[in-house]
Amino acid sequence: MPFVMDCEVLAHQEVAADHFRVTLVAPEIASAARAGMFCMIEVGAGYHPFLRRPFSIERIYPDGVSFLYKVEGEGTRLLSRVRPGDTLNIQGPLGRPFPVPGGVRRYLLVAGGIGVAPFPALAEAIIAEGGTPEVLLAARTERLLVGARDFTRMGCRVTLATDDGSAGHQGTAADLLEAALDPRESVVVYACGPMPMMRAVHEKCQAAGVVCWASLEAHMACGDGVCMGCVVPANREMEAERMVRVCREGPVFDTRDINWTACP
Amino acid sequence: MADLSVNVGGLRMKNPVTVASGTFGYGQEYDEYFDIARLGAVTVKSLTLQPRAGNRPPRLAETPAGLLNAIGLQNVGIEAYLRDKLPFLRKKGCTIIANIYGYAPEDYAELARRLEAEQGADAIEVNLSCPNVHDARTVGGCKLVAQQPEAVLKYTRVIRSATRLPLFIKLSPNVADIVEPCLAAQEGGANGLSLINTLLGMEIDVKSRKPVLSNLVGGLSGPAIRPVALKMVWDAVRAVTIPIIGMGGICDARDAVAFLLAGASAVAVGTASFRRPDTAIRVIEGLERYVDEQGFSRVTDIIGALRTE
Repeated sequence: MPFVMDCEVLAHQEVAADHFRVTLVAPEIASAARAGMFCMIEVGAGYHPFLRRPFSIERIYPDGVSFLYKVEGEGTRLLSRVRPGDTLNIQGPLGRPFPVPGGVRRYLLVAGGIGVAPFPALAEAIIAEGGTPEVLLAARTERLLVGARDFTRMGCRVTLATDDGSAGHQGTAADLLEAALDPRESVVVYACGPMPMMRAVHEKCQAAGVVCWASLEAHMACGDGVCMGCVVPANREMEAERMVRVCREGPVFDTRDINWTACP
Repeated sequence: MADLSVNVGGLRMKNPVTVASGTFGYGQEYDEYFDIARLGAVTVKSLTLQPRAGNRPPRLAETPAGLLNAIGLQNVGIEAYLRDKLPFLRKKGCTIIANIYGYAPEDYAELARRLEAEQGADAIEVNLSCPNVHDARTVGGCKLVAQQPEAVLKYTRVIRSATRLPLFIKLSPNVADIVEPCLAAQEGGANGLSLINTLLGMEIDVKSRKPVLSNLVGGLSGPAIRPVALKMVWDAVRAVTIPIIGMGGICDARDAVAFLLAGASAVAVGTASFRRPDTAIRVIEGLERYVDEQGFSRVTDIIGALRTE
């Protein structure tokens, strides 16, 4: 059951150029939230922008949640100006969480850029399950590698890559995954990032016969499964339709259920 | 406490507030936020004879105080509606307006017959004005049936002969004179009109030099279109004798009152539900306060009560 409520902003910091973390007091949302779910945030009081913006939950605390986001447009620019002590109207938690199966030897979390956003909560859930998350974190350049230290502090194994080689391996998230995957082990892969990156991760997992869960991003009007705006083409019949809603059937999908070649 | 009940072309509603088709699904999603039976009626997403997958994404573009969409009538189809969606609405005790879409008059007639036979609706709203369905863009060289008064007349007559349920024709603002299709629908036997569907619009991403929507163009909704909708309702009210459900950018009770003062017999909340799922409930509560504060006893007292001199 999602909530719609005014929440106090506890902290709001710029963690990298144009990347922010906002932490909110929201005990009800926190207690219903699971790693991989998202919230719709009202970014302004007026009629422009008119719609809320969807954000993955970064971390779940006993009495609140945090979100990690990148300023991309008017909505996130407005959001970035909110100060501690202000209130934000939050709707959530929404969507389906990441499955965290027990008895798995390796949990690989593959993040591209701001796609790292839902992974801190997932890492905590995996640790609670007794696993050790391995985070493969890639970005264009060193200063855009967000959250690497947080993962290390949690006890995750972290491997970095950058397109320009300014930190870690020079290469992509999919390159890191290829090096890490061993088909003889029981592995579950989680992916979040730009569509081409997730598609590449999906293909590597398919080739290795490994299950991959991806958290997809889409423009949404409602976040509730009503507007049909956030759909992606599906491989299987879900709800008797070929298009599946990122907000409702996702945002976390088994990557085999997505028709990657038909995605924009 | 004011009496909010209305009778719109034979459809009894406990209050004059419904929701715009396509902005409320089949009701179940928003019932997680409030009791949807409190609405005057639930208007469901357009139903077609066969399920439709809709257009390719991207389907949405946000514009100043508005939303441009090209969903393309993605829906479960009449069978799945009657089997999977209707029982929930009936169990809740909702008054149901079923919006229907077809490719020919006979499709609409078939949908109307099935809905009446299987008690799938308390009224039927006929979508002659979806701007986002490519395969519908051939009627007489016109993009929309609603843009041709003779076609509106023909379609309405055929659908009228298929059902005794209250019949509302949903028309398009993308015309030079809204009065002509309104008169045609009235002549064809409609019990009411739903005004307005979305305004055709376009958005371009100058960085990629591509249209934002995969469909190239889409339908504009939200507060940006409210004054256009209000003026069209006002024009239509003075030309026809059948009641009008007013819609287009309604966000709060003040907006709803404006449509009622202009002469709409009921209103629909659309895009605003996306921002706050309970917008329609806030509209009902605010409307009740307004009627009380103005010293009226019934909401019908304010319908058409616009003072123009």
